[in-house]
Amino acid sequence: MIEVRDVYKRYLTDHGPGRWVLQGISLSIPPKVNVGLVGRNGAGKSTLLRLIGGTDTPSRGEVERHCRVSWPMGFGGGLQGSLSGRQNARFICRIHGEEKNMAERIESIEAFAELGCAFDEAVKTYSTGMKSRLQFALSLAFDFDVYISDEITAAGDAAFRNKAQKAFRDLADRAGLIMVSHSESTLRQFCTAGIWLHEGRAHWFDRIDDALKAYKESMPS
Amino acid sequence: MKTNPRSSLSITLTVWRALFLREAISRLSARRGAGAWILLEPVVNILFLLAVLSLVRVHSMAGADLVIFVMIGLIGFFMTRNPALRGMEAVNANTALFAYRQVRPIDTVLVRCLLEGVLMLLVLVILLAGATLTGHQGWPQNPLPALAAFAGLWLLGVSLALPFSVAGELVPELRDIINMIFRPLYLISGVMFPILAVPEPHRDWLLLNPMLHGLEVLRTAWFTQYHTAAAVSLFYLYACALALLFLGLLLQLRFKHRLVAQ
Repeated sequence: MIEVRDVYKRYLTDHGPGRWVLQGISLSIPPKVNVGLVGRNGAGKSTLLRLIGGTDTPSRGEVERHCRVSWPMGFGGGLQGSLSGRQNARFICRIHGEEKNMAERIESIEAFAELGCAFDEAVKTYSTGMKSRLQFALSLAFDFDVYISDEITAAGDAAFRNKAQKAFRDLADRAGLIMVSHSESTLRQFCTAGIWLHEGRAHWFDRIDDALKAYKESMPS
Repeated sequence: MKTNPRSSLSITLTVWRALFLREAISRLSARRGAGAWILLEPVVNILFLLAVLSLVRVHSMAGADLVIFVMIGLIGFFMTRNPALRGMEAVNANTALFAYRQVRPIDTVLVRCLLEGVLMLLVLVILLAGATLTGHQGWPQNPLPALAAFAGLWLLGVSLALPFSVAGELVPELRDIINMIFRPLYLISGVMFPILAVPEPHRDWLLLNPMLHGLEVLRTAWFTQYHTAAAVSLFYLYACALALLFLGLLLQLRFKHRLVAQ
């Protein structure tokens, strides 16, 4: 269960406070429900994900997480370029309190990412595809109740994508999922419910199809 | 569903541990020979100062052995400078890690300061062992005040790193200015002269600098025959450090959202 209570958010720009990205969002996301976030570019989808993930704090209002929520996965952050893939994986295991069974976690990450010897090279030498492989493998290695995903499925080459797709499917069955994607088919495939972000407000739909419909109708054709 | 959340304290401790190992790896493997440079920088500094001082035919400092005088002066100075200046960069260097809500900006500063303190302590032990082997007095005659002085100097470094890291994030230009300020501090902190060699009223001005108090206490702890100014006290050093520490914590708390914002 994740509760978002009357959340407002604006960012500080170089010219003082910016516009309100989110204006009074209240949601309660039930456990084990897969939710897709839709909205135009700049509607605040990633912002809302970051607030839910606890990476950023709302300007007003509050977010309560009553379960284990993942970090927002998939926007290239969270990896230290000067360290190797393995060292990054270790760091993430440690801060999630998984020091005891770290060896097997690392093994499963290494096996899934299929980076070969690059796993022991600095992350800054990785290509975009390699980086997203590592990130995807990292996100699968922990048991969260709710996963937060920002366009993470669009990663890697065809073979990896198939594997990732399948793993993501399993994950969506096992745990809750809150995801942003611009691909309608991805959203339909993984999500049951939907949130449409429009002009700083959130609209909840029990069916993702209705959310997509509302989103499409708002766009000038 | 697992409903067994970790306590805040246990999260913080695991984060510190993870950050410490992470920082240690990148500190020791950042550049070629980065590990060696940690020891070489103080050694080169000491040798340079010794060379300059023996050129002007100074052989003892107010009754203290010149080598040890310069050595503990420099290490004491680095004990404050390294945490302060490296801690200042900690938030900036670790922005990628704030993607994990467990990691807070202040964690990165504190952990980096701890690492710098540990490294400097190792360097100190190695240098003192070397000095003892070459016939100098490597062990203080009063170890307790010496330890308290090193701890106080390190604490002062931490207390400076906390406000510096906030200031450096809010106004990046301040980083260069702070770096610049620390250069003359090297000269006026008494690294290479005893405070009694400075005439009044300049002595009183120099005594405003808490680092100088720490260095002078170190010398009196090492050599019982070493004379220092009556105003020199560990209390002043610790009072300054604690005052700055509270200021730093306050700033960290006030601007914690600004520090993680991207």
